[in-house]
Amino acid sequence: MRPILLAGHERALTQIRYNRDGDLIFSVSKDQVICVWFSHNGERLGTYRGHQGAIWTIDIDPTSTLLASGSADNTIRLWEIKTGKLLKTWDFPTAVKRVEFSEDGTKLLGVTEKRMGHLGTIVVLDIKPDVDAEQADEKALTIVCQESKATVAGWSYLSKYIIAGHEDGSVSQYDAKTGDLIYNLPIHELNQPITDLQWSHDRTYFITASKDKTAKLITAKDLEVLKTYTADTPLNSATITPKKDFVILGGGQAAMDVTTTAARQGKFEARFYHKIFEDEIGRVRGHFGPLNTVAADPTGKGYASGGEDGYVRVHHFDKGYYDFMYEVERERANKLAQAQAQAGTATA
Amino acid sequence: MAPPTKHDWADDDELEETTTTTDLPPPQKIQNKDGTWTIIEYRYNDAGQKVKATRRVRYVVRREVVNPRVAERKTWSKFGDSANDPPGPALDTTTVGENIIFRPSVNWRREAKDEANDPNAQAMKDKLKDKKVKCRICDGEHFTARCPYKDTMAPIGEAAGAADLAAGLDEVRGASAAAGAAGPGKKGSYVPPALRDRANAGAGERMGGKYGERDDLATLRVTNVSEMAEEHELRELFERFGRVTRVFLAKDRETGLAKGFAFISFADRDDAAKACAKMDGFGFRHLILRVEFSKKAQ
Repeated sequence: MRPILLAGHERALTQIRYNRDGDLIFSVSKDQVICVWFSHNGERLGTYRGHQGAIWTIDIDPTSTLLASGSADNTIRLWEIKTGKLLKTWDFPTAVKRVEFSEDGTKLLGVTEKRMGHLGTIVVLDIKPDVDAEQADEKALTIVCQESKATVAGWSYLSKYIIAGHEDGSVSQYDAKTGDLIYNLPIHELNQPITDLQWSHDRTYFITASKDKTAKLITAKDLEVLKTYTADTPLNSATITPKKDFVILGGGQAAMDVTTTAARQGKFEARFYHKIFEDEIGRVRGHFGPLNTVAADPTGKGYASGGEDGYVRVHHFDKGYYDFMYEVERERANKLAQAQAQAGTATA
Repeated sequence: MAPPTKHDWADDDELEETTTTTDLPPPQKIQNKDGTWTIIEYRYNDAGQKVKATRRVRYVVRREVVNPRVAERKTWSKFGDSANDPPGPALDTTTVGENIIFRPSVNWRREAKDEANDPNAQAMKDKLKDKKVKCRICDGEHFTARCPYKDTMAPIGEAAGAADLAAGLDEVRGASAAAGAAGPGKKGSYVPPALRDRANAGAGERMGGKYGERDDLATLRVTNVSEMAEEHELRELFERFGRVTRVFLAKDRETGLAKGFAFISFADRDDAAKACAKMDGFGFRHLILRVEFSKKAQ
């Protein structure tokens, strides 16, 4: 496995996302530039300039035509992916920490920061999935987080719920139509903020990463914790890999403590856990700072990680990765193959 | 000393080819009924005879299904800061990192400790499994380098040789070797460099032997290399099979021309085996390379 190093950013990475077909990688960092790369060879397709502050978050609509970004300059901006043209800017009273398109690309949610007398909110914007269309100015919905501000949020299956992770370690479920709070459960340790929330392929469950050194697999419908992955370092990001039943966690010593630690002690590694057995099955080294974000290729061919060191490292898995199976998995695969062969002879 | 303009036989081969291509019938290409092509070419062989070569070729189109949306996006023109970049990855933004060995495993933690980042360590371990650590100086169960007597005693069996060599000083050394514990008392006395080497023979040997140890696992010996070859060319040739840790091309000290053999070390033995299979018989600079696993140095 030879990682491709993308050196398009001058400051720490904040988020990386693949588009739905897995051929483009979008990366944002605190240096106010959005970069888009081809995932197969690391070629940079272009950059999107316009933000006046650190960019915290990014998302791509399902057809890979529109791009939304949220920044510390208190705006959400909408871009045309193909040309890099800025289509629309929404202004907010505080910084935007998270954006996410709904599954069909007609809605966009944004999480705003709690600051200067403003409470943290989750806003929903209606999006017309067309480059030439005039986007509406008004917010379709605003959810105010009274207790603890939301740090991350996302759309569940069928855009039925909005799931949010909070600074106090709790996870809440809102009705996506009305904005009513349905559940708020203390899932992670108290006052350990949730740093990332990423969906499974069908959006029926998701993974959260938290500063309490764990990542949890949670159902969208009733917020039941299915699995817990325990690491030895605060986590900044977690993702679920398609094709293989793994999860990838990224983290490391907080940026401010880094100068006193060596690369080895800092635990700046991507950790692979088995999604079902919860065992750690390997690590990938390479970054010189904590991993701020990890993203899995939706086609299952690889993953990308972005670190505090300003690098994006794109990895394409090799054979050993696909071959790895637990003994029980192997037995089951063999049994299935046998049954299939028998069925084949029976019909013939 | 070689003459300054050395005649390379590979060059005159090319010359001949250019001078003799006259009055040959043009090559023909005929399509057969079964879909294959017959290609007929004429040439002169080494003895100057006209030779007709007939080849039957089948063209196979291999189709790869690519997502049309992905294919379309690959044709997009670059924009923003990359607008002026030529096609393909730009060197200032995209580089390829070092090879990472990632094999998921349930007990990776234990394995990581065992291997200690060295792919050859396991093989070394197997080799050393039956061996016991034995000091060459005092026969104790520690490494020679750690021996408390290493500065004062010659290795066992070499003490006699040392005595033969240095007739003048042998009494001093012999006494210290025999006395052992009394040795430290003699530590301050002058020992000529030639004899000091004797005492440190262990370390010297190890340094020389280091190449041998590293070599025999994943090192290829390449022979019949052209005199004009350069190390970086060989590196490029072999790098496609895996990470190359070392390229050594033997060169004549005076003329700077290659001597005709080289050693290529790989990080991974599997890569070396692959390279050995593929590169043996490869034509490089008009010569047919011979590639084999290097044998342990004597």
